[in-house]
Amino acid sequence: MLEAHHLGKSYRLGDNEVTALADVSLTFPRGSITTIVGRSGCGKTTLLRLLAGLEQPSSGELRRSEGGPQRIGVVFQEARLMPWLDVAGNVAFGLRRRLPPEAIAERSRAALDMVGLSAFAEAMPGQLSGGMAQRVAIARALVMEPDLLLLDEPFAALDAFTRRAMQNELIAIWQRKRPTIVFVTHDVEEAVLLGEHVLELERGRVVGHEPVALPFPRDPTTAEVNDHRRRILAKLTAPSPASAPLPEAAANAIAT
Amino acid sequence: MPRLSTLAVFLAALALWHLASNSGLVSTFLLPSPRTVFETLIELAGSGVLAKHTLVSLRRVVSGYLLAIAIAVPCAALFSLTPALRRLIEPLLEFLRQVPPLAMMPLLILWLGIGEAQKIGIIVLSCFFPIFLGVRGGIAAVDRKLIDVGTVCGFSRSEIMLRIVLPSALPAIVVGLRIGLGYSWRALVGAELIASSAGLGYMIVDAENLARTDIVLAGILVIGVLGLITDHLLRDLIQRKAPWLAGDLEMARA
Ligand SMILES: Nc1ncnc2c1ncn2[C@@H]1O[C@H](COP(=O)(O)OP(=O)(O)OP(=O)(O)O)[C@@H](O)[C@H]1O
Ligand SMILES: [Mg+2]
Repeated sequence: MLEAHHLGKSYRLGDNEVTALADVSLTFPRGSITTIVGRSGCGKTTLLRLLAGLEQPSSGELRRSEGGPQRIGVVFQEARLMPWLDVAGNVAFGLRRRLPPEAIAERSRAALDMVGLSAFAEAMPGQLSGGMAQRVAIARALVMEPDLLLLDEPFAALDAFTRRAMQNELIAIWQRKRPTIVFVTHDVEEAVLLGEHVLELERGRVVGHEPVALPFPRDPTTAEVNDHRRRILAKLTAPSPASAPLPEAAANAIAT
Repeated sequence: MPRLSTLAVFLAALALWHLASNSGLVSTFLLPSPRTVFETLIELAGSGVLAKHTLVSLRRVVSGYLLAIAIAVPCAALFSLTPALRRLIEPLLEFLRQVPPLAMMPLLILWLGIGEAQKIGIIVLSCFFPIFLGVRGGIAAVDRKLIDVGTVCGFSRSEIMLRIVLPSALPAIVVGLRIGLGYSWRALVGAELIASSAGLGYMIVDAENLARTDIVLAGILVIGVLGLITDHLLRDLIQRKAPWLAGDLEMARA
């Protein structure tokens, strides 16, 4: 179980203080899959970075209630491949020498297969398209067989068909290995298709929680999926009482 | 292998030289013909004089260059890892960097004499900064986003250094190494011109004193060719060991 208690994060930007995340309390049960939606700049990446331990919270705390070290897999918003390694080398990047070389090769091959890029094992990152690079980054996270998998808009660069296939693949992996998954997206439909819980984030605050109890794999054309979508969109577009007041400058601009 | 067009340009320059010295416009004393220079070159090679001076110069360049690497790389790594030290010392280094190594010659001669130590000293001074700045700049420019990848994989500091920082910094390091090599040649010949009793630079001033312009030109040719060969060897090494850097190499011309 992963718990966030009154988590807050602010950044200094020149003389200003930008609050990226304010008072977020969440629970991610072990083996659950949670999606987080929200518009650009609402703090999704910041939340994920805190969960990954890449950033320390300005206030509040994170609690991990399982014993022993945890393997974390992260898919960043950009592919972040090492330009000096070929695709196979990038996929195996996190495995290090913990495993015998044959096991590393075997697991990397399987992961590449999963993202449909077996034929590109020897390609260099510069030779890949944006979507292919992103899939290599996904394979790099999957190959670690993480207990906690954090994904930041991982499918944003993919076409509709590849995206569908990757969504199904992710669900299949989740059902097989049961990692705890936190999946960030700005696409409400994707959030409904993948999440047991959909959290809505706005201006650094969680403004809604939508449980989705439909069986997997979900069909985007069904009425139930559509209902969830409509409810989430209504919550995200309605002026939320929890959201912070407009900055003074903006409020003045509207008044004059 | 040099391309055909490259070869043609060199031949054209040679032909121009030939025409200039044969036309009678320039005295053959000031500009001996290519033929005379090549004959001199063969003569110098045959008598062993050329080999002696070349070996002396090469030995100086190699030891000075390696010594500079041995000093500059750890210095740069230390500075990159300890920002406090960097802030303290870097202004002083910036000051020293503004001083042309040849301007330090009088001091070096007083401190180190006119022997090997002074020659190697001038080489170290002149190629320290390109190498140092290459390593420093390379490490400073490493993409933080790639380091994040190592952090989430649970890498230790030294693993991040070895597996992310070093390979990322390699292009800039290689550029510094290549520029440094060029500088060390130039500084050495300069030093040998001023105070020396052997080496290619010495061979040139000695010939000037004897009014042997053909030997001066022969010396210049040898220096140019040796510079090209060492640069080529370094590039070759890089192309074999780190082929993805081939593009960055072109920046390294100074
Ligand atoms: N390192 C930083 N320094 C200063 N401000 C930052 C930093 N990182 C994020 N922010 C600010 O925090 C806020 C939230 O950013 P974040 O990257 O979490 O948004 P996001 O929801 O991921 O947006 P997107 O969908 O566009 O990726 C933004 O206002 C951003 O300017
Ligand atoms: Mg983001």
